[in-house]
Amino acid sequence: MGTVTDDEVIRKRLLIDGDGAGDDRRINLLLKSFTKWCHSPGSPEEGFTQYQRMLGTLAQCEFSMGKTLMVYDMNLREMENYEKIYSNIEQSIMSAHDKIGECKKEIQRAKRIRKNRQEYDALAKVIQQHPDRHETLKQLEALDKELQQLSHIKENVDAKLELRKKQFHVLLTTIQELQQTLEIDEKSDSDDHSQESPAENGE
Amino acid sequence: MGPVELLHMSVFSQSFSPCGRFLAAGNNYGEIALFSLAAALSPDATAANQKPVLTFTAHEGPVFSLLSTDCVLLSAGNGEVSSWSWTELTKKNVKPLWTKRPNYKSGLEIPEINSMVINPRDNSLAIGAGDNNIHILDLEHGAFKATLQGHTDYLHCVCMREREAELLSGGEDGAVRMWDSRTGQCVHCIEVYKYESCARPRYGKWISCLTTDSDWMLCGGGPSLSLWHLRSLSPTSVFPLRGCQRQAAFHQDMILAVGEGAFVSHCLLGGEVKAQIPCTPPSLNTMQLNTKSSEHRVLTVGGGSSNIDVFTNLSYRAFSLSF
Repeated sequence: MGTVTDDEVIRKRLLIDGDGAGDDRRINLLLKSFTKWCHSPGSPEEGFTQYQRMLGTLAQCEFSMGKTLMVYDMNLREMENYEKIYSNIEQSIMSAHDKIGECKKEIQRAKRIRKNRQEYDALAKVIQQHPDRHETLKQLEALDKELQQLSHIKENVDAKLELRKKQFHVLLTTIQELQQTLEIDEKSDSDDHSQESPAENGE
Repeated sequence: MGPVELLHMSVFSQSFSPCGRFLAAGNNYGEIALFSLAAALSPDATAANQKPVLTFTAHEGPVFSLLSTDCVLLSAGNGEVSSWSWTELTKKNVKPLWTKRPNYKSGLEIPEINSMVINPRDNSLAIGAGDNNIHILDLEHGAFKATLQGHTDYLHCVCMREREAELLSGGEDGAVRMWDSRTGQCVHCIEVYKYESCARPRYGKWISCLTTDSDWMLCGGGPSLSLWHLRSLSPTSVFPLRGCQRQAAFHQDMILAVGEGAFVSHCLLGGEVKAQIPCTPPSLNTMQLNTKSSEHRVLTVGGGSSNIDVFTNLSYRAFSLSF
């Protein structure tokens, strides 16, 4: 305490009670009235009234000191309260940051999903333009059946054609053989005739 | 760059750096400009941050294609491909690592390179060139290893189908060809303009934009932008967008498309156009999404003006970078 300079003391006192009004003056007055009362030669009633007055001033000083203490307490508690609110807000800022990060990831995922859906839709549009697979299969089956029937008919016709060909062949070969036989016969007949006539002429 | 040059400037290509903090854009004067996205997107960005940190002339002709690998930026212009190191570019050192020219048969014209794509499986670069062929450059050895022939007119776009290791290419002849990247054979050829639902005869048959995510393919240009299912090779949705689309991309559950018209179209896979977000250039040539960075996730579009619009939220234009 000895190192505290006069300047500091003066500054502090000026800060607390610079204008001379208030507690400082009250304490000074109390001291002065106390000394005056100790040295006063006046009557006991005056002395008593002065004493009462001093007690009143003392009570006022105590009262104001009590008030200051309470205000100090209150300030401390307010500070604590503000600290708590400050840390709450910091925490909520952090959690909001985290949530923002999460939401951004969600958005990326949703965009990917949307892109996939749109690609799917685009492909589906193209596929819709092509005819239905069942229908095409049915058409193919019908065509197959028709093809089979037609080949069956073709086989039949071919067989008939073969048969007729063979029959004609038989007929033709028979006719040809008959013709040949007839020719041979004719030739042999004419030979006989020519042999007979010179033989007759010669006799 | 006087005001007249700025007025006539078109941005043809863009590419983000592997760290995602820089954007390289190529214009029709053969210049590449490097923009710092970190500076432009920071809360205390000024108008000066929307200007490039570095501009240099990369080629004598327009830079039609830019592509970033893990450490280099590949640029195509005037029929040749140059490679620039990203670390050197951020230090403002503009010396290319190498410049290669595919061997073109015709000697008179210089075929332009419209599009390039990297095949990550064998670290090769597929170059869609103006001589109707795709040249495959092996990035490790630096030699051209194959030429895929089949198109009858110059190529507009190439892209890679990761899962099946196929290369898709679209060209002026209206055909989308699918090449097996190992054997180099043309596996399929789809002539989009022959399909009645997609064809728009008054625009022509050329295919200018092509993109795929292995199962589905988006292609458009003269014919309407359409979504194709690759396994069945059939068109599933046709998007009713007026004008010809020059670049399209799949993004989450949507399709983004840019082309003629001062807007970015957002479409759903089903075929409806959900939104058209206006932007400053009168028509758009290129669109890129910065997927490599988590804090600078932006969409940038560039086209017929010296401005490149930056979208931090896909629903509206945030600001513009300018050359």
